[in-house]
Amino acid sequence: MMKKSLALLLALSLVLAASLALADTFKMGIDAEYPPFSYLDDNGEYAGFDVEMCKAVCEMNGWDLEIVPVNWDFKLNSLDSGEHDCVWSGMTILDSMKEAGYVLSFPYYDNTQVVLTKEGNGIATTADLAGKRVAVQLGTSGQELLENDQSALSATFEGGAAVTMENFNICGTELAAGSVDAVVIDLPVAQTLQKKFSGLVILDENLGSEQYGICFRSGDDALCAQVEEGIMKLVEDGTYLSLAEKYGLDPNVLCLLPKAE
Amino acid sequence: MTILTMIAKMSEGLGRTCAIFFLTLLFSLPLGMLVALLRMSKNRAVSTVTKVYISVLRGTPLMLQLLAVTYGPFYLFGLGVAREKLVPVIIAFALNYAAYFAEIYRGGIESIGRGQYEAAEVLGYSRYQCFLRIILPQVVKRILPSVTNEVVTLVKDTSMAFTVAYQEMFTIGKQIANSQTSFMPFVIAGVFYFLFNAAVAFVMGAFEKRLSYYR
Repeated sequence: MMKKSLALLLALSLVLAASLALADTFKMGIDAEYPPFSYLDDNGEYAGFDVEMCKAVCEMNGWDLEIVPVNWDFKLNSLDSGEHDCVWSGMTILDSMKEAGYVLSFPYYDNTQVVLTKEGNGIATTADLAGKRVAVQLGTSGQELLENDQSALSATFEGGAAVTMENFNICGTELAAGSVDAVVIDLPVAQTLQKKFSGLVILDENLGSEQYGICFRSGDDALCAQVEEGIMKLVEDGTYLSLAEKYGLDPNVLCLLPKAE
Repeated sequence: MTILTMIAKMSEGLGRTCAIFFLTLLFSLPLGMLVALLRMSKNRAVSTVTKVYISVLRGTPLMLQLLAVTYGPFYLFGLGVAREKLVPVIIAFALNYAAYFAEIYRGGIESIGRGQYEAAEVLGYSRYQCFLRIILPQVVKRILPSVTNEVVTLVKDTSMAFTVAYQEMFTIGKQIANSQTSFMPFVIAGVFYFLFNAAVAFVMGAFEKRLSYYR
């Protein structure tokens, strides 16, 4: 009797293990400090526009979602090594990624790079940034922008370059504390920081336009197409728009919506 | 970007890496001795306080201490954050390394036999003379390998200053790695650290050789 039940238990666990292996897991690589796209919410759960979009796509495809917070500096290395299947976290599509062979989804969000500063810093236009201490998060498209397209601007900063920081939270802290004068930052993140620290203002100037997309390993074209298909369904059924509203994103920057006349 | 450009750019940050390294040693080596002496004090209160200091500084990550020293005053008391990050970086590093050095010194000092103190007393040495002329030279000789260990670790720990936006060599390497989608800067950083430590090992080896006067 004992033996029989043991055998049964063994068989059961084998079946269980097999079914677990069969159910596909989709590992989503995120920057866990990037509100409102991906962050830890007040309950200690990962939330955000990108996280919820991904959840919905996974449900549609019957995948188990595993959220993998990554070190943003090394996101492509950990993608290559298989720690996660994609980078989906307010990630700007860069030409250098395409050149390196990564598979990139269509853009799902139009972003602009702006300057966030504090009232009383005497900065009204980007020209006022000359000689000022300007910060940017390392590994963001803002950093890339300052090194390339806006390198003439960044040469006017104190020290001839922007100070790179580990995350936007530290940028916000230093801005609020007065140890930096301005931060070059993605518009939605700037708006989130405004809610957190008082007295921050966004300059009415667009430093650069860019688009967010999802990055997959080279060769994962099929996976990318499957995710894109799922996203298009979410656009059609209105989830895309309602999630954007939930996270306070401007509908005008949702580039997948059919353009209104 | 060519490899040579990368090396040139990263070398710009090397000065800041060296600044952390030398200034930390400059402050933490003597501070460690002070902490070690306080730790061995006969006064219970003094030695207990020092014990707590050592266990907190050794028991929490250096990265956390960097954040606490730099941003703690702002979050706790609404004070400003230093614009020049070298100051909080050196404070955090020196406090941290002093705790480690203190324990190395203590180990060295306590390894010297009681009889030597007694002999010195008989010969008419004062306590200070005895410590400086008889005990300390032997301690230095004994602890040198352990100190070398810490110094080598310090070279690699300098990269942690990035946490508080101090733009040392590794930070610049990460900037390049990102904008170029390349792994090369990390290889270069590895070579930099290795060469730096090879130099450290050489200097410390030379010291040890000079001190091995009984051979």
